[in-house]
Amino acid sequence: MLALFLAEVRRSWIQFIRYPSEAIIGVFISTITFYFLFTGASYVAGPSGSLATADGAERLDVLVIGYVLWLLMLFVLSEATNSLEGEAKTGTLEQIFLSPHSAVTVFLLRALAGMAIRLLLIAVNLGLILLITGSNLAFPPLLVLPLVTMLMAAYGFAFVLAGLVLLFKQVRQVLGGLQFGLLLLIGAPVENFSGVAKVMALMAPMTPSAGLLRDLMARSEGLDWGMLAIALANGVVYLALGFFCFSRAERMAKQRGLLSGY
Amino acid sequence: MPILEAQNLHKSYRQGKTTTDAVRGVSLTLNSGEILAFLGPNGAGKTTSIKMIAGLVRPDDGWVKLDGLDPHKKSRALKSIGAVLEGNRNLYWRLTPLENLEYFGVLRGLSRKVARQRGEEWLQRLGLVDKRKVTVQTLSRGMQQKVAIAVALIHRPKLLLLDEPTLGLDVEATQTVKTVVREIAASGCAILLTTHQLDIAEDLSDRVAIIRQGQVIAEQPTRELIRQFSGTSYNIELEETPDPETLLRLEHVGATAKANHIFVRGSEQLYDVLEKLRPLAIQEIKKDTADLTEVFLKLVQDT
Repeated sequence: MLALFLAEVRRSWIQFIRYPSEAIIGVFISTITFYFLFTGASYVAGPSGSLATADGAERLDVLVIGYVLWLLMLFVLSEATNSLEGEAKTGTLEQIFLSPHSAVTVFLLRALAGMAIRLLLIAVNLGLILLITGSNLAFPPLLVLPLVTMLMAAYGFAFVLAGLVLLFKQVRQVLGGLQFGLLLLIGAPVENFSGVAKVMALMAPMTPSAGLLRDLMARSEGLDWGMLAIALANGVVYLALGFFCFSRAERMAKQRGLLSGY
Repeated sequence: MPILEAQNLHKSYRQGKTTTDAVRGVSLTLNSGEILAFLGPNGAGKTTSIKMIAGLVRPDDGWVKLDGLDPHKKSRALKSIGAVLEGNRNLYWRLTPLENLEYFGVLRGLSRKVARQRGEEWLQRLGLVDKRKVTVQTLSRGMQQKVAIAVALIHRPKLLLLDEPTLGLDVEATQTVKTVVREIAASGCAILLTTHQLDIAEDLSDRVAIIRQGQVIAEQPTRELIRQFSGTSYNIELEETPDPETLLRLEHVGATAKANHIFVRGSEQLYDVLEKLRPLAIQEIKKDTADLTEVFLKLVQDT
């Protein structure tokens, strides 16, 4: 298992460094997009909603965190589906299913292996955005914990989408629509909700983790361990759901003879 | 024990209200070192059968055993199998040949060290050492195919599935692939080969199974099948046209002549004819032998 994980790390790294321009252009475009969103929002808000005030600074920090987390989730989801579609076309997908390791194991190790590169790119992205906007986020080491719970839920989602790719070959349209849903999930201010709305938000994928990250990074508050337990349960449930859906989809694809002919 | 046993495989696909029987009761057996050419027209059920054998398509009925294990129940069974499927290159295009060999070796359960060592050996064997540092996407189609075969064999499987291994290759690359296939079989690996290039199937295979509309309609040793469909006559080519006197003698023993070509109906008359031809110089004596293409067409069209 460790040997396969290291092989996946090497494969991801080689593919990344061999064509770094793609990643660099991606980082550049997402940073520019944020810059236009940011200046547009400032213009619409006008002087009264200025981001230069104390309240405004917090709003900016929240905005930056939301955007960067959204980018990270998009990376996770699109990488899972795009790579699966690509592998189906070149025939490497069948080779994975011919391996004695289960497909879930291979794709999970693959996701973990690609994570370091993704986080590196996101860090560069975040650095550029902080430089442009003058936002001043905190980076306490404890932020790793809600980040992990968030990634668990995101990969759960990615496995569901990957299962759909096995069955329907292409899910680009679904992914396109999902982008806006993700914004809602990540941006929902669960920390300010109460009652039924709060319960619903805590059950939604990634939402409690995003709230914790906002508290830690934008408001410099301590980690709410109770909330972290909820976020962890949220991540575990969605990851398990992802594994379950993917395994079902694999079974159905083998039943219907869909593991080829893309 | 056979390396591959597939018994009574059935598979139907449903599309809307229509059900298509893709495979109807296919059974195949393959022993160590044997090459079985699995032939059939497009849509006959070859690929579905192969994918059921590889565990990629679940049969509706019937079972598969790879070295005694069912690939649909025991993933360990997949260690016995290597495959190059559907003319795809089955490779990561951004990796070099050695990187591909190393990655797939580990994916198939080898340690990195062993995978790398075997990868180097394969590159040496396939004459690709000078290409070890270029990405697969820049290689010629023939070279990509050689790498794909090496990738399928990196974990030393007992059964190799080869789907159209020489499709689109030039003459030289085809010869190399054929040589490699023979060497692999000689080393004890069983090979299930599908191809539309029947001359290659004839050249390589020990046995032939022909599938039509989801059913195996013939399965025999290749030479035996060809012999059955071959005639009993002979064609003798002389270096020059015989004189009228010799022609007359030939007619007496039942042979017919056309210029320097003499046709003999059966082996009984052959030596009489040769006696009458003495001392004329003979260019060639050839028995009327069918080839696999003729056999295939007769079976597929007549059945």
